[in-house]
Parts: sequence; structure tokens; C-alpha cells
Amino acid sequence: MAIPVIMPKQGQSVETCIITRWFRNKGDKVSAGDILFSYETDKAAFDMESPADGILLDIFFSEGDEVPVLMNVAVIGKTGEDTEQFLPGKAHSATETEPAAASPERVSAAEPVMTVTGSGSGDTLFRISPRAKKLAESRGLPYSNIQGSGPNGRIIVRDIEKAMAGVPDARVSITEYSTEFTDKTLSNVRRIIARAMHSSLQNSAQLTHHLSADVRRLLEARRKIKEGLSSGTEKNDITLNDMVCWCVIKALKKFPEINSHFLGEHIRFFNKIHLGLAVDTSRGLMVPAVKNADDMDLPRLSLALKMVADACRKGSISPELIQGSSASFTVSNLGNYGVEMFTPVINLPQTGILGICTIINRPVDLGNNTFGFVPYMGLSLTYDHRAIDGGPATLFLKAIKEQIENFNY
Amino acid sequence: MPKSQIISPKVVRKPQFIEFGKIPVNQYKKSIEEEKKNYSREDFLRIYRDMVIIREFETMLNLIKTTNEYNGIAYNHPGPAHLSIGQEASAVGMAFNLDIDDYIFGSHRSHGEILAKGLSAINRLDEDNLDSIMRNYFGGTALKVVEKGFQGNIRELGIHFLLYGALAEIFARENGFNKGLGGSMHAFFTPFGIYPNNAIVGGSGDISVGAALYKKINRKPCIVVCNIGDASMGCGPVWEGICFATMDQYKTLWDGEYKGGLPLIFNFMNNLYGMGGQTMGETMGFGILARIGAGVNPESMHAERVDGYNPLAVIDAFRRKIKLLEEKKGPVLLDTLTYRISGHSPSDASSYRSKEEIEAWQKEDSITSFGGSIVSAGIVKQDHLDEIRSEASELITHILRLTVNDEISPRLDLVSDPDAIGKMMFSNGSEDKMEDREPEVLIHLEDNPRVKSLKNKERYFRDKEGKLVSRVKLYQLRDGIFEAIVDRFYKDPTLAAWGEENRDWGGAFAVYRGLTEALPYHRLFNSPISEGAIVGTAIGYGMCGGRVIAEIMYCDFLGRSGDEVFNQLPKWQAMSGNLIRMPVVIRVSVGSKYGAQHSQDWSSLTAHIPGLKVVFPATPYDAKGLMNSALQGTDPVIFFESQRIYDIGEMFHKPGVPEEYYEIPIGEPDVKRSGEDITILTIGATLYPAMNAAETLQLKYGLNAEIIDARTLVPFNYQPVIDSVKKTGRIVLASDASSRGSYLKEMAQTITELAFDQLDAPPVVIGSRNWITPAYEMEQFFFPQPDWIIDAIHQKVIPLKGHTPKYDFSTGKLILLNKNGV
Repeated sequence: MAIPVIMPKQGQSVETCIITRWFRNKGDKVSAGDILFSYETDKAAFDMESPADGILLDIFFSEGDEVPVLMNVAVIGKTGEDTEQFLPGKAHSATETEPAAASPERVSAAEPVMTVTGSGSGDTLFRISPRAKKLAESRGLPYSNIQGSGPNGRIIVRDIEKAMAGVPDARVSITEYSTEFTDKTLSNVRRIIARAMHSSLQNSAQLTHHLSADVRRLLEARRKIKEGLSSGTEKNDITLNDMVCWCVIKALKKFPEINSHFLGEHIRFFNKIHLGLAVDTSRGLMVPAVKNADDMDLPRLSLALKMVADACRKGSISPELIQGSSASFTVSNLGNYGVEMFTPVINLPQTGILGICTIINRPVDLGNNTFGFVPYMGLSLTYDHRAIDGGPATLFLKAIKEQIENFNY
Repeated sequence: MPKSQIISPKVVRKPQFIEFGKIPVNQYKKSIEEEKKNYSREDFLRIYRDMVIIREFETMLNLIKTTNEYNGIAYNHPGPAHLSIGQEASAVGMAFNLDIDDYIFGSHRSHGEILAKGLSAINRLDEDNLDSIMRNYFGGTALKVVEKGFQGNIRELGIHFLLYGALAEIFARENGFNKGLGGSMHAFFTPFGIYPNNAIVGGSGDISVGAALYKKINRKPCIVVCNIGDASMGCGPVWEGICFATMDQYKTLWDGEYKGGLPLIFNFMNNLYGMGGQTMGETMGFGILARIGAGVNPESMHAERVDGYNPLAVIDAFRRKIKLLEEKKGPVLLDTLTYRISGHSPSDASSYRSKEEIEAWQKEDSITSFGGSIVSAGIVKQDHLDEIRSEASELITHILRLTVNDEISPRLDLVSDPDAIGKMMFSNGSEDKMEDREPEVLIHLEDNPRVKSLKNKERYFRDKEGKLVSRVKLYQLRDGIFEAIVDRFYKDPTLAAWGEENRDWGGAFAVYRGLTEALPYHRLFNSPISEGAIVGTAIGYGMCGGRVIAEIMYCDFLGRSGDEVFNQLPKWQAMSGNLIRMPVVIRVSVGSKYGAQHSQDWSSLTAHIPGLKVVFPATPYDAKGLMNSALQGTDPVIFFESQRIYDIGEMFHKPGVPEEYYEIPIGEPDVKRSGEDITILTIGATLYPAMNAAETLQLKYGLNAEIIDARTLVPFNYQPVIDSVKKTGRIVLASDASSRGSYLKEMAQTITELAFDQLDAPPVVIGSRNWITPAYEMEQFFFPQPDWIIDAIHQKVIPLKGHTPKYDFSTGKLILLNKNGV
């Protein structure tokens, strides 16, 4: 008896999911627990396991397709069983607003299947193996100029692999060029980010103040922690980012008007501090919140930040923790990438976001006509002028600077 | 070569003369008056009626074939109709004394014999049995047709059923006795003891011997009659069947109640012609066919020529011969003289015989003269006989009308079920035993010397320390086959095995060593050097319900059993409409070292023929598991074994070959070595050179080969191969069969079709050269070697860095070789 594989409903608000990758093909023998395909909601990614042993008799959606939840995606059963009864009904096959996307990758510009090159005598037939051709097309790689290394000059897989690895082609041409490009349908996560960012800049009055803080104490603390880790006296790998976040929390306690949401007709001030942290993942930007961060000491805060960031990267983060309204203030750290200054975009309805920049050694008068280089970290505070005026914003930023410069752990 | 019988030079070198006894020719001389005490009036009338029904049936077919009409019913029958008008007395006389469980086998010209045996069975069966046979045959579909509106008794209904079932079969209707899949030349109906006719001249000559063996070995009652034509005496299988049926051992070596001759009558329906060739005077030299008996055994096969134009003479002969068979003095050769008035087939212009000759025989027509004699003896009035004739005409008209009606008698519906015939090619049964009784054995299995010695063998090729096990301690491939077979001998009482040197010698390659001690003669015996009959008798044995292993000592001898393997064994399950099962395993040993006529792998030939399962294991584990499956099944299996690797140990299945019973499904290839870069699919012993090539590819060229052992050719699950090709993108196929037309080419084509887009190069087939197999010392130039595999990969699939090929696998060479036919 064949059984359907249903797109599960991951969270109350989820209506559709996008199939990101098929691991098995129609006709494959599968065992219960084998991963059939991966899919993502707008917030997280999941793997679908086979519910039973059998043959993957039919697949109704391809990679990139947006599939309404609870709809049949595939059928597992015995060879020869009829799958028609499981065919998803047309009425449910696409969401109301967005038609199901077709193949996510479309190679434009047709490739010649077979061309005769050169005019000399002899066997000049263009040769490429079906597998090599398929591989090239799947990567949008032009192959007509690749020199084949197979029998009779046939382009074989290793030639395509070599070309993909960027090994330069000895023959350079300025008149022959490719006009190819690849259109890729937006993933759900990308769409959400696009919408949120655009909305933030359109619907608020953002501006950014920049300031630097002396981080000698921070670096000293970090050095001790590293030593402690290697000698075993320290258990927690507390990073500079953790330390800055801890300083931000302390500063927020002094400036409760920043720890707020601007909601049009009113401003919501939070009693607790829910710190958002911008995290880069393979699926795009995510901002998970550490709830009640003001209750935590530094080691616990460090752990909590690590946990939410990991959960985002694995795709296992709870949808509730990555909505804009989950956090009361956000920190975004680009210091690792050497960014010296930037204007972070507020995650609405929050009223502020702190950008952490890279550390730069600056010449400083150390007194007695002695100048020395002191490490300074850039801090970029974007705030919503609808909610906060320049004065309090600047004072808040200074408060963070003070916390950093007087850091004690 | 039993040691119990000493061949003394003193005896065999003694001068003497062979004396032949007299062979009676047409010695029946009784008058009707004398026979009145042997036959009732009803008997005489029934003999007459049966002949008339057959005559009318054949006349109808003749008119349908030549004029497309009979009694106002138009019909075109494009298929064959080899008619026996003139031979009715022979058929009816043959069948008169036969019981239900006496089996008849026939030829291409056997409509009359089927009807005669059917009519005899209908007369003999008790009414309940007759009713239940008709009601249960294919769900009673044929009965429903003739039952509708029928008024009369059950035996008369039986006659309608018989004629309808036979004619529907001839006209390829689904209500035919074999669903229309047998046809005119293959119609049969086993519930009436009618076993297959055979479109191959002499085809029944050895199959019927197997049926007689079935009766003898399994202590079944009754006899077997092999009805074949006079010209079939020129066919090898008939001569082989006669030799097989007259072996001395039945009378000298078989024990107890099994001692004695086969219950078999070779009944040559001698109509004096083989198609157009006169067997007396032109194409044969025996003059009188019965003479042949004198050349076969001291009893001259109790041969006799009997006047087949007189039904009473034939009945008389059969009565006497059946008594001989009951006394275990068989087999018997009968030369039943008759004449075919009709042509060989309706297109026969009789260019080979004179009008005068035909008219002379018509003057002595058996029906007219038998009718005349019973009228003059006062048994019946002519009017009554005329009435029987007109009734027969009406009956045949009625049956023809039912049969040609497409609504009443449709053909097998291949539109709604296009695979309907495909479903009948194999019975796919799974039976521990074909009959439920205690198997006859001579010793307990655990007392068997070979079973005992196998207990001490290492069932994996390396010992616990990883050292190679010495050959003498090694459990070998031949042991795997033996274990499966000996196990089945103790499970299935019907299992019998025969072939050349199967007993005493233990099989030419020691597979059967230990069986002689375990089994009585009737379960394991040596056959004559008659490959045709070795397989043919197995077919007869299998179709009657017994399980059998026949052995062909060298694959090269398979040609000697060509008709049996290609035309008979694969066909009968489907041609019976899937009623017959064929639990027959043919062991075929593929040789080496012995040159051109002892070293050929012909697995491709058998795989080409629909209806055979073809297996070729290459490891002890696979050999045992596949033999178990073959012996558990109900289909014909050609089981190839390679002499190169009879002594190989198990190198793949850890911890070794299990002692207990297990089955490996027929049709599943097996990955023997995992790899990512190239797939090598092998059949048979080529697995080992391929393993060798894989090592070199890995060490020298960094190419990790995946090796798949096909294990089975038919059926074959391509999925594991396709999965592998999806991974590697490359495939090479190798076996010891000569490459041209080899089964690997079929596989390569199918793989191309199934995985074209996955391929980085066309599949490459590496077979043996298309030559004679040279002497052992030159075999490395003939059979695929590891180097060939590497060279072919280099030249055809993926050039290997730094490799210099020794052999030319270029496309130019390929074209040239084909152009030269080598």
C-alpha cells in the first residue's frame, strides 16, 4: 500500500515551504529515516525523512517549488503501485498570492548541442559526454570552448570539474564572450529580509552616530580568558562581542527609553532587556533574541548568545525568537570583517541598533608628552528619531563607551 | 561405471554371433466374429463413432483451411493445421485401452490422438470426476460455453467440452485448453492424460522418456505413450530418447521395486512420409520401421509392426504391450502402419506421390472398412452408421460455430492487459518439495562422508589471523553447490539428478562427490552421452510434477541439447497457459584449458531465449544461495558454473558461507567492491580478473572502481547498476563470453538507455575474442585479462595519466575487427 509524504506544518503561522533540495530521485529505493529532501520555511530549514521503506514512486514538486503545508510531496510504495490518487489537487497546489516557482535555476542563452569547429580536415566533431554536459549546464558553465581530455577529444566530467575550479584557459579572447546569466528565484528567507529592510528604511527616521571606545581593558580580559582556557582555569570562551553586549545591557539599564518599541501611537518600554544579535547564516541574515538578557552574568550571556547563533545556523531556531518584535534592542557586529564604520538598519519596531566595528590603533596622548597607540573600537548607533532625540541617543552611546572603557570581569 | 559389474575380457572377447529374434509384421489375423467376445456392441460402435468424430473434425479444418468455409460457416484460420485424415484407426486403437493416468505425448500431427485419448478418458472417467475436471478447468470458462442450452448426459457434454477446448486452442481462443497459447501443434489437456504435442519433429522422443521416468521414480501408476512419426526416426533426440529409455541399468542396477524397464511405448505413427519424403524407399533405410528395435537391445524393444488401418489390430497390440510394461519389460517400440490421405498441410500439392497411390489407400479407408465389417458381422445396421456420421457433422458444425464467435470465444485480451503472456513465462513458485512424502536416501545426512569433511573446512578464504587458507582446508565453490543439492535431496522426494558421470565418479568436477553414497540409483544415475535426452528427459520429468537436476558436463555440449534447451524447456509453461510448472535445473559447466570445443561461455545464448532463468554465480556463497533458490523454484533455471573457479574460496561474504540454508534471490546483482570512479559489471569468473584490475587502477591511477557481479542474467534488476553508474558515470562490462552478441552487449544497451545522461563515456564491453579458444598456454590472448580492462578504460573511457596501453581498443580497430568478422 503506497503512502504519501506530506509537507509538514512547522509552526502555526507557516503556510508554505520551499523545497530546497531533493536527495533522492523518483524510482529510488528508500528506507525509513533516509533524508528525502530539505525544505525551508521563511525562518528555518528542515530535512524530511522517509516515513517508510519502499520505492520513491513519484515526486510532485521540484527543487525551488513553494509547497503549501500538508500537501502531498511524494509517494512511497512498491513498484507498480498507482500514485495518481496522491496527486495534489490543483486548488491547493499554490498559494494565493504567489504562484509556485518553477525550477530555481534557469540557464539562459542556449548552448550549442553539437557544433563543428574549425575548417581543417579530419575528425573535428564537437564531443562532450552526456554527464559532462549535464554537469556544465547545472553550473551554467559554458563548455563549447573547453578542451576535452577524453577519448577523441571528448569533454568528460573531469574537464568540466577542472574548468569549474578556475584553472585558466590558455586561449584568451576579447571577441568571444559569454552572455549567460542565471536567474535565481528568491528564497523565503531572502524575501523576508528584503521586505523587512526596505520597510525599516521607508517607515522610520533613522540616523547614525559614530564613536570609539578604548578597548585595552577588554583586550586584557580577553587575553586572560584565553590563557585560562588553555590552562583549564576558565571554562567559558567569552568573546569580545559577548563583552560588548554585556556593556550594552548595562548601558540600556541606564537608558530605559532606548530599550523600547516605537508602535506609531505609543512607545512600548520594556521592563526586561531582550537583546537581539544579528547572525549571518547560509540562508541569509537572522536576528535571534536572547530574552531577559539583563538577568544574566557574563558567562551565561556568552552561552546564550552562542546558543541562539548556532540554532540559527542549523535552522533549528524557534520561529518565535527571530521576529523583529522578539528583541528590545539589537547588536550587529561587523568588527571581525574589518569594517571601520557602518550604518546598521533598525529591526523595526525596535528603536535602536548598535553596530560594533573593527578595532583600530590610534595615537593617543598618554600624558607627559608621551604619545602611544591605543586600540579603539568603533561603535555605530542607529536610532529612530521618531522615538529618541539626538541628545539621549548620544548620552546612551557614551554610556556604552564608558562601560567598555571601565570594563571589569 | 559401477564397480559391482566387472567387464571381463574373457567374456567380451569370446567369439559369438548376435541372434535376432523375429519381429512380427502385421500378424493380427482375428475376425470380427472372434473379437466379439472381447468387445461389446457399444465398444464397436464407440470405436466407429470416435473415428468418425476425428475424421469430421479434420475434414472441417481442411475445408476451413482450403475454402474458408464449413457447412455454411465462414472462417479464416491463418495458423497451422497438420491433419491426420486416414490415420483415425491408429489414434482410436492407441487410446482404446489407455487409462486416465496413462499419458500420451504427440507430434505436430496429433489432433486425432488428442481427440481419441480425450474420448477414451470421457468414457472411462466416473461422472463426478468428469464434471469436476470440466468445472475447474480455468474456472469452467470452456464448460460454460458448451453447457449453455445443452441437453444430454454428462459424457455427451464431455465430448462437446473436448471438441470445443481443442478447436478453441487450435484457433487461439482464450477458452482453448491452453488459453490459445499452444495452438494446433501444442494442444494438450493433462486432466485427460493428454500431454503436449510437439511442433518439432521427434520433440516428444526424449520428453516422453522423462515422463516415464517420473512414473517409475515416483512409483506412479500407468504408462506413457510417445506418439511420433516415422520420419522422426531420423532425429537425434528420438534415438537419444530410445537409448536413454533402454539403458541396462534399469534392469541390472536399480534396486527392489525400481528394478525393471520403463513403462513406455514408442508408438511410431508410420504414415510412410516425412512431409514429402518417403521414409520407406527414399529418406531412411530401415524398410520396415519396427526393424530398428533389433538394434537397440536384446529384446528388440518387443518391436512389432501393426496394421494401423484396423483399429482392432492396434487395440490388440496395445493390450499385449501394456501387459509387457506391467511386467516391467518395457520399453516397447510399435510401428503402427497408417496412411495420411490429407496433405502434410493444406498447402501440400501432393507432388511427391501419385493419385493412384492415394486412391488405393482410400479404397481401404479404415472407417469405411471397419463400418462394413461390423455391419456384415450383424453388429449394427448401415443406417445407424450413417446416423453417427451425420450426428458428427452436426456436432462439429455446432462446435465450430461456438468457436469462431468472437464474443463467445474471445482471444486473450492483450489490449487491456498487454503483459498477459509475459505473466505466464514463469510460474515463480516457491516449493520446498514437489510432493509430500519421505525422500528415499541410503544414509543419514550427518553420516555422509563429504558432509562430515565439510564440517572441518574453512568457510572464508582467510583464517582468523588473516592468512590465506590452504586449498585442502578451504570450503570451495563446488562445496556450496553440493550443500544446496544434498539438502534438497533430503527435502524433496521427487528430486532426481542425472547426466554423464553423475554417479560413482561424483560428477566430472567433483560437485556430486558424496551423493552416490547417499542416494539410490533411481535418484542419481549416469546417463548415456546424450545431451539432448539428458535435458529432454528432465523436461518430461519436470512437466509431470517432479523436480530434477540435469547436468551438461561442458557448456560446449549445450549445442547437442539445442532443441531441448531452446525450443522445449523454455516454452511449455507459457504454452500450457501457465498450468504446467517446470522445476528443472540444468547445471552447465563452463570449461577452460581444453581448447575450442571445451571452453566456451554460452550463457548469452540461453539468456536470449525467453522462458529461461539464467544464473552464473562466481563465489561459494552465491553458488549455494542461488542453487537453493533454483531448487526452491518452479521454473527452468540454466545454472552456469565455471571450471576456473570450482576450487575458489569465499572472498566476499564475511565470516564465510553459512552452514545453514539460505536463498539468494535470482535476479539480483551484487556489489562486490565499492568505489566511486568507475563501475565494472562482470558475469561469472571474470569477477576475479576485474578485482585484479581494480587493485591496479587504485594503486597506479587513483581510480576507485566499483565491481558489480551480475550473478544472474535473467531476470536482472538493473537498479543497483544504474545507482552505481549515477555515482561513477562510467561503466565497463566484462565476461568470458566471446564479445560479439554477448549478453554484455544487451546489458550495455539497456544501461545506456536507462542512464544515458549519467554517462561520461559509452559503456564498454570487454569479452573474449571472436575466435576459437586456443590452447591453455595462449588463453591470456583470448579471455579478458586485467590489462585489457585497464587498456580499454584508458582508450575508451578516461585516459589514465602515464598509462601506455598494450592492446588496441581504438575505434578504428573495432571497425576493422567487425569488418573481418572476428
